[in-house]
Amino acid sequence: MIGLQHYLTISAMLFVLSIAGIIVNRRNLILLLMCIELMLLAVNFNFIAFSRYLGDDTGQVFVFFILTVAAAEAAIGLAILVVLFRNRRSIAVQELNTLKG
Amino acid sequence: MNLMDFLAAAPEMTLLGLICVVMIADLFIEDERRVHTFWLSMISLAITAAVLQATSPDTRVVIFDGSYVSDSLSQVLKLGAVLFVALAFLYARDYLRANDLNKGEFYLLGLFGLLGMMIMMSANSLLTMYLGLETLSLSLYALVAFDRNNVTSAESAMKFFVLGAIASGALLYGISWIYGVTGSIQFHEIYAAISADPSLNNLPLWFGLAFLIVGIAFKFGGVPFHMWLPDVYQGARTPVTLYLASAPKLAALALTLRILVDGLGGLHETWGTMIMVVAVLSLLVGNLVAIAQTNIKRMLGYSTIGHVGFILLAIFCGTAEGNAAALFYTLTYVVAAAGAFGVIVLMSRSGYDVELLTDFNGLNARSPWFALMMMFLMFSMAGVPPFIGFFAKLNVISAVLAAGFPGLAVLMVLVTVIGAFYYLKVIWFMYFEEAEDKAVLQASTDTRLVLSLNSVAVLALGIVPGWLLALCIDVLS
Amino acid sequence: MLFHSILFYVFAAIMFGAALGVVFSRNPVHSVMLLVLTFFNAAVLWLMAEAEFLAIVLVLVYVGAVMVLFLFVVMMLDVNVEAAKRGLTRYAPFGIAIALLMVVELMQLIWLRSQVGDTVGGFVPNPEGYSNTKALGSVLYTEHVYAFEIAAVILLLAIIAAITLTMRKRPGLKVQNIAKQVGVRAKDRIRVVKMDAEKKS
Repeated sequence: MIGLQHYLTISAMLFVLSIAGIIVNRRNLILLLMCIELMLLAVNFNFIAFSRYLGDDTGQVFVFFILTVAAAEAAIGLAILVVLFRNRRSIAVQELNTLKG
Repeated sequence: MNLMDFLAAAPEMTLLGLICVVMIADLFIEDERRVHTFWLSMISLAITAAVLQATSPDTRVVIFDGSYVSDSLSQVLKLGAVLFVALAFLYARDYLRANDLNKGEFYLLGLFGLLGMMIMMSANSLLTMYLGLETLSLSLYALVAFDRNNVTSAESAMKFFVLGAIASGALLYGISWIYGVTGSIQFHEIYAAISADPSLNNLPLWFGLAFLIVGIAFKFGGVPFHMWLPDVYQGARTPVTLYLASAPKLAALALTLRILVDGLGGLHETWGTMIMVVAVLSLLVGNLVAIAQTNIKRMLGYSTIGHVGFILLAIFCGTAEGNAAALFYTLTYVVAAAGAFGVIVLMSRSGYDVELLTDFNGLNARSPWFALMMMFLMFSMAGVPPFIGFFAKLNVISAVLAAGFPGLAVLMVLVTVIGAFYYLKVIWFMYFEEAEDKAVLQASTDTRLVLSLNSVAVLALGIVPGWLLALCIDVLS
Repeated sequence: MLFHSILFYVFAAIMFGAALGVVFSRNPVHSVMLLVLTFFNAAVLWLMAEAEFLAIVLVLVYVGAVMVLFLFVVMMLDVNVEAAKRGLTRYAPFGIAIALLMVVELMQLIWLRSQVGDTVGGFVPNPEGYSNTKALGSVLYTEHVYAFEIAAVILLLAIIAAITLTMRKRPGLKVQNIAKQVGVRAKDRIRVVKMDAEKKS
């Protein structure tokens, strides 16, 4: 029987994978943004599973708002990325090293 | 629910309406007259403050089906946020004009950020808290990247964005577990659910709580989630740093108090330990690393981390006294931080930013009045009596002692002594080093006046701290 | 029920595999496409949990808009110079494979729906005549109206921030002045000159 545990498990797996991706990835910033999207997807899985389990729609409403905010966040993140690219001609993570101390 | 019930949310509605007015008006203002946008924003802030005063609630009012709360805590925090945003705008005005950054969007994004903070301060559910936090964070990301031709700004904005988004993700993951375990997203219902069923106080809830703490610690800038803070303070243009260092700290305090005390007060034993670890690490790392800094903005960034340690330790006590001390500390720290960054903004000229500590060399010879003001602010941050910072630290220490943790109190005294070193270093540079550049600081009369008031306030409040402390205790009782 | 479980595991496995691909793929364009696949599978899993509205929104908003934005930025920033040289056709087989996979999954799901009435598994099935969209809609504009308004503010903010950061006024850019175009009158353009007819010489 597929139920709460299964959904929570895949959510946790996605969450861990996205964290791992953020740590491992040194090549390019767009991948970091994608890992963040994966992370939010994991969160959404959790909310939907709990919402169905509790029989309460609030969790699904929460997911609706997370999707909205995530879209806005992606737009701003990509805008900052474009600004950075125009200044540096590069989006490699290891080159973000002007600020240190 | 009738229409009059919405009245409690009038400040937010007014501000949003005024933001739209500023936005449309800015479209029709030419670049040379950009200062009109500044004045419009200031008028908007004044109107918002007036509406806040007019709708001040006598008792705790909860509207919008429990998503919005208006009480004396939200009232005090909101008034403080409006005031500090106005200060940031005023200090920023001349700098933006001199540095070719004079765009209306600075004020617009600043006002949006203020709206986000006000939403957070009045949030009564995890959903509104999250949305308010995102409104604030998104405007801050954009503000940090505001100078599009500056490499360090863009780089620090990118770091800020990536780490901030990860922190939001962690916070949300925690929220989802808390929703799953308690079945609600409203703070009072979560509180009721936990006290009704002690068996809920178990591993799944702690799991969610741990992620929540990560998110909160990040937004506050507590160690080990502080990596963004020095970089962003240094990389952003100084007026943006000033904005970032002042009012959002009040919002972070609201985030912590609302979630941990209003919502999860029943779990104090569990989150107390986590908060304590973050606080102690912040105290040590912030104060020790600040000594080694040569960049003034970066140094103030690390010193902020140290101050966050104090605030978190006050919250850690879990008593009304501790919470009042946290509020008092945050308010007074923000006054000093706004002033200190205000002086840095003022010292910068067209095409030349004050960045290094050595830029303060011989300030006394150049402008004795501003050197004196900066000395007041540094003394206050260091915690020298009779400045207000001393009383703030004293309150936190006595709250921690009252809660029965003498070891932590000793640690706080020790780091205060260490911290005094780097604040005094600034004063040393100002009074006992030779200046390479003898130019007298230029500033318009209103900036001069407000900055002086700001700095004298840390002394005046220090001489009569009683009423502010009484207010803080009253608000949180 | 057994078939339901098998489908769940198949979709979850594809989703996780695609997510692994997002993280470890060497080519950013592949990553974006695999992310599309991940989101699509997530939507399918949400459908299986009877969260229909959000499943559709995920496909429309995420796959339809946000992922396209990502792809746009990847292409615009020209990250992988070598790949960009060969043009779009290089990604065609990969894209088609992902699209086919999604079609097959959808058909499976539709088939499952027609075969088994109760697809909810361990969750309490929704009552007869329950509409997920209607249920969400009815709380969205009443109970959560405040949050809804804030979400609108966030979208406005995102627009302003993105424009502030990326819009550049290029000097020498030629733009239409529509008011001027419309306001033009015949006498501004042609001048009627009265003159005597020329005589043939």
